[in-house]
Parts: sequence; structure tokens; C-alpha cells
Amino acid sequence: MDLGNLLLYTLAGLSLAAVLFIVAAGLSLVFGALRVINMAHGSLFMIGAFVAWFIVARLAGSAFGFWGAILVAPAITALIGGVVEIVVLKPIYGQEHLLQLLGTYALTLVFAGAVRLIFGPDVRSLQAPDILNTAVHINGHSFAVYNLFLMGFAVVIAGALYLLLNRTGLGRNIRAAISDPELLAASGINVTRLFTTVFMIGTALAGLGGVLVAPSQSVDPGMDANTLINAFAISVIGGLGSLMGSFVGAIIVGLVLSYGFAVPQTAPWATAFVFAAMAIVLTIRPWGLFGRPER
Amino acid sequence: MLASLLPGTRAARVRLALVAGLGLLALLVPVLAGLHENVDPDNASARFDMILGTEAIVLGLWAVSFNLMLGYTGMVSFAHAAYYGVGAYSVAILNTKFHMPVLLALLLAPFITGIFGLVTGVFALRAVRLYFSLLTLAISQLLFVVALEWYDFTGGDNGVHNLKIPDNLLNAQNLYFIVLAVAVVCLALMYLLTRSPFGAALLTIRENRQRASSVGLNVKAYELAVFTIASAFAGVAGGLYAIYDQQAYPQLLYWTSNAQPVVIALLGGIGSFLGPIVGAVIFTYLSTTIGKSAPFQFDIVLGAIVLAVVLIAPGGFISIPSLFARLRSRFRRGEVEQAPEESAGEAMASLKVGSAIAATTQVAVVRSEVALLKIEGLSKSFGGLKAVRDVNLKVRQGDLHAIIGPNGAGKSTLFNLITGLLKPTSGSITFAGHDITGKADYSIAKAGIGRAFQITNIFPKLSVRQNVQYSMLAFRGITRRPFGFAERIFREEADQLLESVGLGPFVDLPAGQLSHGDQRALELAISIALGSKLLLLDEPTAGMSPYETEKAMELVRRLATERGLTLLFCEHDMSVVFNTAHTVTVMNQGSVLVEGTPAEVRSNPDVQRVYLGELETSA
Repeated sequence: MDLGNLLLYTLAGLSLAAVLFIVAAGLSLVFGALRVINMAHGSLFMIGAFVAWFIVARLAGSAFGFWGAILVAPAITALIGGVVEIVVLKPIYGQEHLLQLLGTYALTLVFAGAVRLIFGPDVRSLQAPDILNTAVHINGHSFAVYNLFLMGFAVVIAGALYLLLNRTGLGRNIRAAISDPELLAASGINVTRLFTTVFMIGTALAGLGGVLVAPSQSVDPGMDANTLINAFAISVIGGLGSLMGSFVGAIIVGLVLSYGFAVPQTAPWATAFVFAAMAIVLTIRPWGLFGRPER
Repeated sequence: MLASLLPGTRAARVRLALVAGLGLLALLVPVLAGLHENVDPDNASARFDMILGTEAIVLGLWAVSFNLMLGYTGMVSFAHAAYYGVGAYSVAILNTKFHMPVLLALLLAPFITGIFGLVTGVFALRAVRLYFSLLTLAISQLLFVVALEWYDFTGGDNGVHNLKIPDNLLNAQNLYFIVLAVAVVCLALMYLLTRSPFGAALLTIRENRQRASSVGLNVKAYELAVFTIASAFAGVAGGLYAIYDQQAYPQLLYWTSNAQPVVIALLGGIGSFLGPIVGAVIFTYLSTTIGKSAPFQFDIVLGAIVLAVVLIAPGGFISIPSLFARLRSRFRRGEVEQAPEESAGEAMASLKVGSAIAATTQVAVVRSEVALLKIEGLSKSFGGLKAVRDVNLKVRQGDLHAIIGPNGAGKSTLFNLITGLLKPTSGSITFAGHDITGKADYSIAKAGIGRAFQITNIFPKLSVRQNVQYSMLAFRGITRRPFGFAERIFREEADQLLESVGLGPFVDLPAGQLSHGDQRALELAISIALGSKLLLLDEPTAGMSPYETEKAMELVRRLATERGLTLLFCEHDMSVVFNTAHTVTVMNQGSVLVEGTPAEVRSNPDVQRVYLGELETSA
């Protein structure tokens, strides 16, 4: 593999990492503040992608379609998230972790069934808006501008999340929840509303990831599983509950996948390499690179 | 014989009825299938019915093995489908590539799958709880990728087909009975396992992981063992699947396939051994009706079932069977099962005799000069903060030794260092002549240091007797035994001990329903049952009324005297300290300030300044 190819695959890996970061950050944020692993996170990602497809298809490829979807789809997944938090999670906070795992796992089945029921089992594709639907040339290889857009977008989201967490009152409360849930309850913050808000932010990020991935990959009813597993891998590598962890974890997973796919001989095993990376991190730090040990 | 195995409770009768009902159903399936054929001789429905029956049995076996983890140990694994798949592939590959008869291959399947479970389990159990669940998901996906991509060996996405099945196994009825026989053997083995001392250890882990460790269980080793065993049985179920469906394919290992054991176990109730079997029967029925005609709706139905179980039984899984039992009894007999009575501190109140003994023997405590626990130069830092600095402490055999100090003096950290919950930064801890510095908490517990916690720490859903009984089993290493009946071992010892701490009337009550003070008494009983030579009590009277406090300390003093225990306790209540302790160590800002008799400490000007003075000014 020459240097040009290496650069190309690095860029491809980083654009993959961009979407994965947005999804994993949502998962991680929810875990950090609520101590809940949302198994349905991948389903909301899938719903985001399908809503985007629906909007773009209905508005017949006009540029507004995609940009509208970037706003509307996360709003819809956030609303679904809000309902899920209030109806399913509220009654089981403070109970065994098993219940939360199983409860949100049940939702993955419900959402998977609902998406197939509404949209059918077909694989669909989505065009990026014209302005992004071009390519640049790097060392004689063409590279989609849309992928560069994804990287930029992810950096913007990372910055926005950083500011949200460190510069706002809501962010202060979220950080308090992340570092000491018991103290939070005693400090007069409206925990009920905080949890709903955080969960909605998390699911909005899942939906946003779905919209963003739609033009660069396909929209199909099986996309929930792979993304969920990659988001988990990122969280395990980076450490659940850490924004920095999601960022670094996403880059590691994105690059491992991209390099793995680059070589024909290893391509089928690319997914396995992610788990190898996980295994290495876990052997050294079972709670992830930027996480904190759980008792 | 059977009657003598089971207690004559309603729960036991329900269980017996369930076993009989399921057994009858299993034997009736061929007859019903035959009837079906008589009514409608033109179609192949009899064979279809038999295969449905076979499928239900295999699913039931699979779900019961899953429930060994979920219901008995409290572990959520998303890799169980992968082991089922590995079992199916084992049989399929051994048969097609190595020309092994399927039944012989089936015999090997659990060993192959067990090895997979063991190796991957070591990896998954690097982490606990949530992270564990995530890791099992990763493992499951990894095994799926291997099955999908290793064309030469697994046939890739085509899977393995054309198993060579002997003719007599192609007969649906023969096949059914062979599957039934294998399943019954496996179920019997698993049932005995859950009733064995090993099974008791699993229950303590489910109830309270940390406490299980502090009564001497190597929790991760047990979790690994049950993970491996569950995988092996999943392998049998998968192997049976390969035989009756004559194929193995990657989708079997896909993570969404885990929906089956999860839903089946929850459907039938994970609190009972046979629940998943009932779940399998219902599931098979649903999947042939809704599942065939509307597969997408079927996913939604499955999800809704799991959600309903999770939300309707908010008291946790254990409440599910009792919820059903209550509904059932209300429904059938129009009566509400009597709510279990709660205790309200009677244990403490019934100790008048004990206090008399304590009063007379208190002075006569034998206190030798031999140091049972010796701490030298012990320090612990958290980042820049030195929580414990250069502590030297000797606890003499038979002493009642109190540690006092203002909040943040390092008392709890010191206790955590002694019991192995924290590793010291420097220094050494010697107990009964053995260096225990930095050892794991369970091996320190084994060495003879018991602890009662600041936050009451028991197994809430086990009965009071089981709390003591299972702790004894764990501590003496008997829980390694996968055979025998845990309920029968140490039963009398446990009852006697509970009698002596005043909990005699409550042995059958779930421990979580004891009053606060009585839970403390139970904790003491557990520590004594473990034969602890040194008992660490972390604020033994916190949260108690003055009356309860007095009674609790009487109990502590009496037990210490009667059983020759050495006590090390920290306490904020000065009257408790000066009435009970023979030696008092004062800590301040992580180091030892003064040590001496209560009188010496009381009159020490440093202590008055740092500690007692503070109390007086605040009072």
C-alpha cells in the first residue's frame, strides 16, 4: 500500500469515525448521567436514517430535503427518546442493571419490527445534497467531499458538546450527575427533568448519526445492530461516560475498520480487529482509556 | 421418596404440579400429533406437530441454561446465541467433515462449546456487570463473523447442510423422544446444580456481589464457572437443533438471536427453574402462529412481552413468581396469600438474659498481649490526598478495640485497607502471623477477618437462615461442590446461631424484611458463622435509637465474650466507645494521634483538643 492509499484510507477511517463519534457520544452521555446502557440507541440511529430517507424522498431530492432532515430527524428521535425515558426507564431507575438492559433491549425488538413494518425490508440509498456530492482528488485518488463534511460536522458537534458540558448550567448538572449521582439527588436539582433532557440529547445524537450516515452508506433495516456494537466498542475502549473517550475511541475504531477493510485478505475480519483492539484495552484498563472504574 | 425431597409448602406443590403437567404434555405430544393426522390425514401436519414439540424442548433447554446466568447469578449475557450456534456447528461439522455419527457428535458438543465459553468468558469477565454485558455482545459478534467468513470450515454464509442422519432418526417420533431424553438428562443435571452448594453460591452473588466476596467467595471464578456451564448446555441445545433441522448457519449466532432465550426465560419467569420451559411452550406456539404470518409484528410482540415483564414486576425478577403466585391464588381461591410478617426489632429486645451475662463477664475478658492484627507503616493516597498516613496499630487477641476520630480521619479507609477492598500505597498488614497486605478481599475473609458494614450488607431476598447457611458454605469452600443439597447443610448450626442472636423466630423470613437493628444482628451472625477471629464493625450502631444501640452493643459484647472474638470497631457515639472498648485509638487526618485505655484517652489533652473538644463545643 503506497502513501497515497494510506492517506485515503486514513481519511475514510476518520469519516467513519465522525459518524460513530456522534452516535457513541450520545450513548456515553446517557450512561454517564443516568447509569443506563441504552440498548435501543442503535434503533434510534436507524430510525434517524429512515426518517431522513423519507424526508428526502418526499421532497424529491431538493437540497432542502437533506438539510431539513438534519433538523427534523434528530428532533423526532429525541421525542421518541423522551417518551421512552418517561414510560420505560423512569419506573426502573435504581433497580438492578439487568432490568434496564432488558427493558431497552425489548425496545430494540419493538423498533426493529416497527421499522420493517412501516418501511419494508428493502435497502435504500440517499443522495448527498448537490453541494456536497462531489469529490476532491488526493494523490490521484478521488475522495468524496461529503466525507470531509462529516469530519467537520463531527468536530463541530464535539465542540458543541464540550461547551454544553463545561459552559452551561445544564452541563454543570450533567457533570455532577456523571461524577456523583447520589450527591446530585441531594443538591436540589430537578433530577427527573435532567434525566429526561439528557436522554433526549443522547437519542437526538443517535438520530443525527443516522441522518449523516444515510448518504454515505445505505439505509437498511439491519443497520441498528452493527452501529450499536461499534458504539459499544468505542465506549468500552474510550470508557463509558467520557466525551474524550468517545472521541478517541471513535477514531481508533474508525481507523481499525478502515485499515482492516483496505487489505483484501483481512477485509472479512475487519470487525474482528475492533474486538481485538477492545481486548487489548480491556486487558490494560478494564474500564476504558478515559473511563473510571465501576464497583 | 419424592415427597420427602420437597417441603410441604404450596410453592412445592405448585412446582410438583408443574413438573407433572409438563411431563404429561411432553408425553402427549406424539399422541396429539397422531390425532391431528387422523382428523386431517392428507397433510403432513403430524410430522410438523412433532417437530414443533421437538423445537419447544430444545428452546426450553436453551433458555433454562440461559437462566442459570440470568435468574440464578444475575448476569445478562448477549452471547448465549453464539454458544448455541457453536453447538450446532460442532455437530454439523463433526458429522459432515469428520464423518462422525450425529449422536456421538452431540456428546462432544458440550465440551467444545464449554471450551469456547471458558476462553471467551475469561475475556468477558475482565469486566463487571454492564461492561460484562457489552463484552458478551462483542464476543457474540466476533463468533458470528468467524462463522460467516471462514468459508473453508464453516461454509460461510451458506452454513453447513446435508448432515448424515441415520434413518431411524429421520422418523419424527423417534427424533422427538431422543431429544426429550437428552433434554430431561440435561435439565436434571442443571436442577441438581442449582440446589447444590455451588448453586447457593450463585444466589449469594446475585443478591449481593460485594457481600458474597466478603464471605469468602471468589466471585469471578464462580461467574466464569456458571458461564462455562451455561455455554456447554447451550451447546447441547444447539447440537440438538443441528440434528432436527439438519443444518447450521451463521444467523444462529447473530446477536438478535439472543432474543429467543431472553424472551423465553422472561415469559415463563426467571425466578423458577422450570419457568423457561413453560416459556418455550408459549413461545413456540406464538412463533408458529404470529411468527409465521406476520414476522415483523412478531418482533414487536416479543419486545412488548419483555417490556411488560420488566415494567409490571418492578420489585425485580424475584418478585415475578410471587406476583404470579399472588395473582394465581387470588384468582383461583379468592384469597390473598398472607403477606409475610415483618420483624420490628424483637431480636434486640429479647436479649435481657444476654445482657446479664455480658454485665458479669465484661471485666473478665481474657486479653493476651499477642497481637492478632499488626499494622506497620500503612499509608494510602488517593491522588494527592493522603487518606491514611504511616499508621502503626496492634490489635491484641481478645481485645475490644475502638478507633475514633472526626470525620475524614481515615477510619473507613483503614478498614477498607484491612479487609482488602483497597490496596495500600505502602506499609504492611499482618494477621495471625500471616502477611495479608494487598490480598484479595475474599482471601482475607477466609483468613478470619469478618466485617459488618457501615451500610447494612446482607442478602436481602434470601431467607434469614439461608443468609447464614450459604455464608458458611461459601466460607468453608463447600460451594465448590456441584452436587448435594445446599438446604440440608449447616441447617441446624445456622438455626442455633440465629437463636443465640435472637433471630430464632425469623429464620424463614426474607432477610430484607428484618428491621434495621435485626439486620445488624444477622450480619453479626454471619460474621460469627464464618468463624471470624477478628471482627471489624463499622459504626455498628449508626442509625439506631438509643435503646437499640444499647441492646446491639450488649449483643456485641456478649458474643465477643462467648465466642472469644477480637473486635475492632469505629464509632461516633462516645458512650458506646467508652462503655465497650478496652483499648481506644484516636485517629486524626489519616494518622494515629493517641492510643490507650478509655481513661487515658479521655484525659489526653491532644484528644480533647482535636476530638472531644470539638464534640463538646458542638453539643
